[in-house]
Amino acid sequence: MTTKLNENELWLLSFYRTSEISGALFFGRLCKTLKSSAVQHDMSKHFSDEAHHAWLWTDCIAKLKAQPLKLADSYQDQYISAAGLPANIMEILAITHVFEKRVIRQYALHSRVPDLQPEIKETLSAIMQDERWHLEWVKNALQSMENEFGKENIEQALQRFLQADEEVYAKTMKEHEERVHGLGILAGR
Amino acid sequence: MLDRSAVKFKIASVLQVQPELIVEEAILNELVVDSFILVDLVIELQEEFSCRLNQENLKSVRTVGDLIQQLELHRFAAA
Ligand SMILES: [Fe+2]
Ligand SMILES: [Fe+2]
Repeated sequence: MTTKLNENELWLLSFYRTSEISGALFFGRLCKTLKSSAVQHDMSKHFSDEAHHAWLWTDCIAKLKAQPLKLADSYQDQYISAAGLPANIMEILAITHVFEKRVIRQYALHSRVPDLQPEIKETLSAIMQDERWHLEWVKNALQSMENEFGKENIEQALQRFLQADEEVYAKTMKEHEERVHGLGILAGR
Repeated sequence: MLDRSAVKFKIASVLQVQPELIVEEAILNELVVDSFILVDLVIELQEEFSCRLNQENLKSVRTVGDLIQQLELHRFAAA
């Protein structure tokens, strides 16, 4: 079996896969914990989407005749250690909003890489459709929480997480500079 | 007053560990290695015991006892 992926590509797709799995597990767990509400409803769909994305990457890697790498830390773990633990549902949605924005930017950047294998391009475009909805429902849910949590507190939480996001993204890019540049993906903010 | 042993029992059940391990001095990061599970635990405790915490309240929390204290301080008025 000859793989159609080079080492860097396989690493990045495995990284995406691990990150989608972590997202699914995180939301799945929360869906079980939260009381029945509109947030629980939309989060259940979000959970199922992230699990599906993990499958899409698994399948994409298989179609390219490779096997996913087992990676230790997910990107989300680093987020929580940089930003601190979100303590309530508003803070969880704020960190999710910032994270989903980063995911969309990263996937958009990747889909612009010249001569991308069609399997990767298709996977990216299928996932991006769901990711847009993720951003939207989270944004609406945060808006609906303004009375309960205060608009200012929501904005402050978003700001705090945004700062952590920039730190973690810059750190990840630096750590994996060679791989990412090798693929022609330039770090964008 | 918050029933401290009920909170400890709930922590043990969420983390699926022996209730004897959940003592006031137990360090949370040693009980839960996965930060996602810790987020879930904190949400579960707030739902169960009618409390509302924020990031700021968790800053000084290291042990089970610290967490229970924060829950105690941030219960809903109606609870
Ligand atoms: Fe996803
Ligand atoms: Fe997503």
